[in-house]
Amino acid sequence: MKNLKLTERLGLVSYRNQSKSEIKPHIIVDTDICNSTCPHKCTTWVCPANCYTMDENNKVHFQVEDCIECGTCMYACDQGAVDWNYPDPEIGRGVTWNFG
Amino acid sequence: MDEKFDCIVIGGGVAGLAAAMTLAKNNMKFLLIERGEFAGSKNVSGGVLWGSDLAKLVPNYWEEEDAGWERFINHRRLTLMDEQSAFTLDFKSSHFNEPPYTGVVVLRSKFDNWLSGKVQEAIDASDYAMDSFIATNIKVDEVLMENDKAVGIRTGEDEFHADSVIIAEGVNNLLTRQVGLQDKYVPADHMLTGIKEIIRFDQDVLEQKFQLNGLSGMSNEFVGWATDGVEGGGFLYTNRDTISLGLVLGIKDMREKKKSPHDVLNHFKTHPAIADIIKDGEVVEYSAHVVSSGDKRAMPRELYKDGILLAGESANLLMNAGKAIQGMDYAMRSGILAAETIVEAKKKEDFSSATLKAYRTKMDESYVMKDINGFQDAVHLLHTETMQQKVPNLICDFGRQFFTIKNEPTPKSKDMLKGAVKRHASFWELAKLGFKAGKSL
Repeated sequence: MKNLKLTERLGLVSYRNQSKSEIKPHIIVDTDICNSTCPHKCTTWVCPANCYTMDENNKVHFQVEDCIECGTCMYACDQGAVDWNYPDPEIGRGVTWNFG
Repeated sequence: MDEKFDCIVIGGGVAGLAAAMTLAKNNMKFLLIERGEFAGSKNVSGGVLWGSDLAKLVPNYWEEEDAGWERFINHRRLTLMDEQSAFTLDFKSSHFNEPPYTGVVVLRSKFDNWLSGKVQEAIDASDYAMDSFIATNIKVDEVLMENDKAVGIRTGEDEFHADSVIIAEGVNNLLTRQVGLQDKYVPADHMLTGIKEIIRFDQDVLEQKFQLNGLSGMSNEFVGWATDGVEGGGFLYTNRDTISLGLVLGIKDMREKKKSPHDVLNHFKTHPAIADIIKDGEVVEYSAHVVSSGDKRAMPRELYKDGILLAGESANLLMNAGKAIQGMDYAMRSGILAAETIVEAKKKEDFSSATLKAYRTKMDESYVMKDINGFQDAVHLLHTETMQQKVPNLICDFGRQFFTIKNEPTPKSKDMLKGAVKRHASFWELAKLGFKAGKSL
């Protein structure tokens, strides 16, 4: 079996409020911390949904749209940059698992 | 819903539903709040529900045509891996064929939803058929506290009041932290990320592949090469027409070794033993969720306080001491015991910690805390590099020699074993390991 790319894997996930273009992010990341004092920037590799990315200038960026609410970043970030919450059922994103 | 409830249960997972079922059967007036569209819609597990507590909640569940579970386990495998080989301890027995089964594989989106339907039936049969509710699509923002005692919950602008609150919110236990039972920041040290794919086959193909008969199923855990050097292990469980294939990976170790969970999953899937199994399958879901490790150092400081009880993964009740990954059965038992404590508190009309501490006693006397307390050394041992890397490598090395037939004189097995030990570890290391394992298991 050919291994799937992460984008293909995330394409299998059912997200909530997909039709809404404006959503309220359930995780707030202070990327100023990531991009100033953080010695590892580990969220850019431990996140199973690749919500944290590093650009060519080694700057960390965060997007919440692909988040599958696993919680990994909340523990992995030991720098206080991740303010983690559950998505709002009405105006947030987050997942609805088909299998779970 | 102006009136006060006896109890508000936060979370429609296994712990919350077990608590709700027990409350309903005891004629309590309660509100179960689930933030997903339906119970199970936010939930992920490996997952095998071990033990037979499910039969206490839903008697004769196996007689139901389409109950929420996938397959019962009568075939257990534990596989040690190196890069090319897989050395498996394999046990299959018809002893496990009769209900109540000792383990059923579940997919949570289906199983929890089914169990939630059973809870609703129990509500309908109770004295509070019109006054107890399962409410979905509601996120609890806060547990309301008065004089350090829980009096209800707040969601947005709305408040609901109750004599007691059972927090069954799962491992990412924000409310447990809010009420002060756990620190605001929980470090990565004893937390892991579970990651898995659901892979679909034709049901006939799957049943032939794994030698399944009717609804029988197999569970397989993996140690060694599977995790690409990261602390953790792999799993494979058979569902009706899919398998759950995944890994559990230490978050701190991924941080330090710069490993991505999805890359490690790809790595696992390329192992020849796995690649041969999955080659004609189709991935239909990819998921991930944090789990705790069973290390007591990560657990909340207490399981109760005034008006509050913690159940399931909110209290980090999960353990893998080498035999099986147990979490949902701990959730179920703790949910039942929490609800029973609330029933007793209602009789006394006292929901203070003086009464609720009976939950702690019940838990300590149950197999859940007895096992968690009794197998801490095994948990620590299982997470050492020797157990995670060296032992699988040397066993596979030995296996390769033992099963190689050449047209030349065969060395004695003990010499093969000696050679394998020398190449991957030392006798001293193994002696220490054997001593620790003998004590801890």
